[in-house]
Amino acid sequence: MIEVKEVTKKFGRKNVLNGVSFTAEKGKITCLIGINGVGKTTIMKAIMALTPIDGGEILINGEKIHKGSYEKITFIPDTITMLPQMKISDAFTFMADFYDCWNQERASELLQFFKLKESDRISELSKGNTAKVNLLLGLAMDVDYVLMDEPFSGIDIFSREQIAEVFTSHLIENRGVIITTHEINDIEHLIDKVVLIDHGVVLKEFDTEEVRESEGKSVIDVMREVYKA
Amino acid sequence: MSRYLKLVNFEFNRFWKLFLVLIGITILSQLIGVIVVSRDYVNQANKMIYEASMPMSKFIEQNGTFSFHNISQTLWFLGPIGLCLAVLIIYVFFIWYRDWLGKNTFIYRLLMLPIARLHVYLAKATTILLLMLGIVALQLLLLPIENQMLLRIVPNELLANLSLNEIIKEPNLMIMFPTTFSEFLLYYGGGMAAVLIVFTAILFERSFRIKGVFYGILYSAASILIFLAPILVNEFILRNYFYPLELFFMELATGFIVLMGAVWTGNFLITKKVRV
Repeated sequence: MIEVKEVTKKFGRKNVLNGVSFTAEKGKITCLIGINGVGKTTIMKAIMALTPIDGGEILINGEKIHKGSYEKITFIPDTITMLPQMKISDAFTFMADFYDCWNQERASELLQFFKLKESDRISELSKGNTAKVNLLLGLAMDVDYVLMDEPFSGIDIFSREQIAEVFTSHLIENRGVIITTHEINDIEHLIDKVVLIDHGVVLKEFDTEEVRESEGKSVIDVMREVYKA
Repeated sequence: MSRYLKLVNFEFNRFWKLFLVLIGITILSQLIGVIVVSRDYVNQANKMIYEASMPMSKFIEQNGTFSFHNISQTLWFLGPIGLCLAVLIIYVFFIWYRDWLGKNTFIYRLLMLPIARLHVYLAKATTILLLMLGIVALQLLLLPIENQMLLRIVPNELLANLSLNEIIKEPNLMIMFPTTFSEFLLYYGGGMAAVLIVFTAILFERSFRIKGVFYGILYSAASILIFLAPILVNEFILRNYFYPLELFFMELATGFIVLMGAVWTGNFLITKKVRV
């Protein structure tokens, strides 16, 4: 389980995270929702120790993040994490060289699924295909948790559909996923848990299935209620 | 350890093409330089001795004999060394900033590798050291070749033949080729300490952004002050109290403190403070 406890973070004088707490369980898709600049990406980076926090605590399976944690958790940011001059095959070699959890079989499977070629050079890919490579590099790792930052941002509808398809496939099964997105429509029916954030504060944390069954509301209905209030 | 070496190899390969270009420029410029400069001298000798009928002894008296020293002073020879040095100095900054800036933020990947983040810092420093040693090794290979070329172009009577040992003691080459272990420690140790101080200053900037620039400058100034403390104290407070050898060992000690301080601070920043 990923536990984010009372996390605070300031950039200069601005409080970006103001005591954020939530949990994300293995086998569930947790979605962080909020308008731009509310601190969603900062939370992701804080979980991965890519930005230091000022207060609070973040635990992954009960431990603070350390070098070994990167074999159990991966982060797919909204920019490509490989060098542009690399071919996809070079990126695979790099990942295989450094990660024990790299699964080449799964990487090949994803390559086929996304209709990409190993000989493709990253710098020559479209934005949609670059996003797919980014996703591929994250999902081809045998990790417990996958963090995705705006995987649908700025890409065409067909690529979006293809990426959304991944969420219903065995590639995500049994993993804990935390995702930030504006494009809630694409994956509303797939997510298990929602954390609504505004100005560095968690406004509401709820189980989508529970809300659907007990209150008959969709995620978007709850969002409207919370944000209008 | 093996992942650290893989990272060094990876970092080195990123510079490889530019390194080849630098090698090419150095070889071409220096070899052309040997031909041009020694031919100029021979042409001048021919003109004076055969056309103006000047006795050879008088020509030598006026122009001196020709040696590698005449080449090692020229832009043909020093230019590419300066260029390599300038590129390396720029690369000390670029090796970090290229991973942060631009569309492809590779720093995400580097910081998420399942290795101690200190390895990322040390791999970059090792790459700079390897590149420097590569340039020195190339120069060491080129010197005897250039000397042989010179021997073939300039007639024996006009030549002051220098051995490789004498060539590398040329004032311009002394820093590249230290002749004693203490000189090696001083030049290369000092150079590496300077690189690590810059690395750590960059990490201050990457951790605290604008405030970090100020911290980085303060940190660099403090490091230089600590490094030079024995010399400054000896010069201005104790009025040349220490023997040169005592001073050398004190410098060695402060250099070691500064170097270790840079690595420790760099490790702290890249592990706990740096932000992407």
